[in-house]
Amino acid sequence: MASTLRLYLTCIRNTLEAAMCLQNFPCQEVERHNKPEVELKTSPELLLNPVLICRNEAEKCLIETSINSLRISLKVKQADELENILAKKFLRFLSMRAEAFQVLRRKPVQGYDISFLITNYHCEELQKQKLIDFIVQFMEDIDKEISELKMSVSTRGRLVATEFLKQF
Amino acid sequence: MILLQSHSRFLLQTLLNRIQNLEKCIELDHHWVEFDDVRYHVQVSMKNPHILLLSLSLPTPPLETVFVGGLPFGAIEAIKAAYGVIVQILDPPRDGFNLTLKLNLSKLPQDEDQRHTLLVKIASVREVVLGAPLRVILKHLASRTVAPDIDQFVALVHRPNESFFLVPQAEKVTVVFPMRFKDSIDTVLATSFLQEFMESRRTAGLSNAPPCLWSQTPPLELKGVTDDALSANAGFVTFVILPRHVEGRKLDRTVWNLSTFHAYVNYHVKCSEGFMHSRMRRRVESLIQALNCAKPDQEKTKKTPQTRSFKRLNLKDSRTNSRS
Repeated sequence: MASTLRLYLTCIRNTLEAAMCLQNFPCQEVERHNKPEVELKTSPELLLNPVLICRNEAEKCLIETSINSLRISLKVKQADELENILAKKFLRFLSMRAEAFQVLRRKPVQGYDISFLITNYHCEELQKQKLIDFIVQFMEDIDKEISELKMSVSTRGRLVATEFLKQF
Repeated sequence: MILLQSHSRFLLQTLLNRIQNLEKCIELDHHWVEFDDVRYHVQVSMKNPHILLLSLSLPTPPLETVFVGGLPFGAIEAIKAAYGVIVQILDPPRDGFNLTLKLNLSKLPQDEDQRHTLLVKIASVREVVLGAPLRVILKHLASRTVAPDIDQFVALVHRPNESFFLVPQAEKVTVVFPMRFKDSIDTVLATSFLQEFMESRRTAGLSNAPPCLWSQTPPLELKGVTDDALSANAGFVTFVILPRHVEGRKLDRTVWNLSTFHAYVNYHVKCSEGFMHSRMRRRVESLIQALNCAKPDQEKTKKTPQTRSFKRLNLKDSRTNSRS
């Protein structure tokens, strides 16, 4: 299990390393505008082929690249209803704090749980290697956090039930 | 605090304060609300500092429950039995309340311990009133009889416009709780909690606990109850109470636990949500820190040799990496 996760993450890391060669590119239609092309998709020649990396059906990662921006969308595994709720709650919590994260997109791309938008400005401000490290760590952390949350819910449930039934 | 306490802490505090300063003529007028929409009102006037008026408002009863004069059946008898001479029931009660009690504080016992016990008992007036019908039925169970004038099942109010059901029999009483939650997240968390109730019964040390079942569909005992009363989004919990659960002193605890079962589950659902939030907040902080590591100016302050930025420019290296 752990080894498949490592392979999945290594694959994403390598893809990101290759994909993250962004350059400044002003908008072609409007003068003095500079927009992330991956969001606007104004002209096909500025876009690269999107890469979809799947660990299984439930967990996948879509990396869309353009000349000046890069979008990473993640789908987190949700085995049951509880995990689904926890994942939704946690990712919503993160998206609401997107300002603090800079590279986080406020809304996930349709069909995914959370998205990042990295522009050439981010690449200039931040170190590329560390940015990739951050994204990989983020993915690891989300998985870990959700499973820990789930554990804590069931532990608490068990304790609550035992204490109640002890009363009789 | 894992379990809910049966006395209202604020009421107990108010009473204790009042008794300590009995000579001082202080006017009191407090309103407050407790869980499940139980409202209290306490009033002391300047003229009679010994008289304390305590009003209680209960959750609105749904159609299927039986209320006699604004109170659950057996409540008046229960109040009289519990408090004796110190309490007088005012009829009609204060406007907007179901029950008004007139407490004569000068009649309290002198003995410190006895007085405290009685005050705790007064502070748990909610248990006495709302739990009265349950207590009547469980008392009959303790003597292994069924109350004569009772239907096949009894509905008792425990939340505004919601009730739980009892099926009294001579050897056992089946208690069914339709579990409803407003929030979809609450529902999911509560469902997982309720399944734990079913499972934890099997663990050692709890073999004496009442059998507990959880199901999505209403149990067969409740045939004939209106659909409205049986619409539950978190399933149904059934406890089978046997005579050994209501023997002697256990009765009080059983009554309280059963009448606040929903509140208990709800309380812990909310607690675990709060816990989750604090966890998530911490996690967000650690992730932001990880992102801050990527900022280059932090590197400069450390004065480490900047080998990384050199590596970053090495295009050949990264290309071979991506192809592998």
